[in-house]
Amino acid sequence: MNISLKVYGFLLLAYPADFRRQFGEQMCQVFRDGYRSEARSGSVPGFWLRTLLDLVLTATKEHTDSSATKGFFMNRRTDAMALLGCVGIIVIALLVHNYVTRNPGVPSIRWLGYILDPLVVSGVIGNLIVFVLNKTTKLNRLRTAALVFAAVDAALLLLIVVISRSTPAPNWIAVLFGYLVSYAVWVGLHFAWHSVSGAGSGVHGQANS
Amino acid sequence: MAKEKPETWLPLTPAMFHILLALADKDRHGYEIMREVGERTEQKMRLGPGTLYGSIKRMLSDGLIEELDERPDPELDDERRRYYRLTDFGRRVAIAEAQRLERLVKSARSKKLLSARGT
Repeated sequence: MNISLKVYGFLLLAYPADFRRQFGEQMCQVFRDGYRSEARSGSVPGFWLRTLLDLVLTATKEHTDSSATKGFFMNRRTDAMALLGCVGIIVIALLVHNYVTRNPGVPSIRWLGYILDPLVVSGVIGNLIVFVLNKTTKLNRLRTAALVFAAVDAALLLLIVVISRSTPAPNWIAVLFGYLVSYAVWVGLHFAWHSVSGAGSGVHGQANS
Repeated sequence: MAKEKPETWLPLTPAMFHILLALADKDRHGYEIMREVGERTEQKMRLGPGTLYGSIKRMLSDGLIEELDERPDPELDDERRRYYRLTDFGRRVAIAEAQRLERLVKSARSKKLLSARGT
């Protein structure tokens, strides 16, 4: 009996975590009661067969329902707004960047270029990773954004270090300043969106709502 | 949600209707529902734990049943058990489903698929 119950408890992993949390204990209890009753009448194999069939069919259904309510394309309106916002910022940054490269003589504009480069590159890569992670995991959205942008910016800076070995060294203070500003802008925007759309949601929707 | 017409919820799945029937006369916990359904249908309908709690989950969220805070007989029972009760809306939905099935049986009789005695 104990082994059967342990095996059934293990098999419950086939169900979505939310469903298990809500009903897992009750299902084990029902299984135990059913098993005891069937053991008295000597039809345990039939009971196991029915239980396994039930498990396969209902676990599939629960996963389908779960992905329908928490799926990748849930909160399309919120996602679209966030996506449009990110694309808008990147497009504006690219336009300004284009203007800056045409007018390199002005020192203040040159500094702006150092900010716009990481803003665009880090924005595209970082937001894409944050979007996918927010849609496929239950990680804290704000912390995810902070860590992802830190990792992306660190990777891009490392790339600049590698490239600069064979090219003239850039103005490192300006490069670092640009990445710090870019990091502050993107993480700040995620923080603002997180505050506006409610705790536990984030830039790319409210999968838990 | 519970303000909607009961008819909009029809037809119910067989498992859901059997669970509503099991709860129509008494508050019951999960295993008691399973046992009642099995006995009433002469073991032709056997609910597995997944079917039972999958249906319970949907019926709870749809307001057809509710979970009780207290246990009807705490002296005799395992305190971990959860009891369920039919809501007023759930009862109306069960009645609407029963009436729908009754109309269906009448149609079968009129087509001579069933005799007047239902055999």
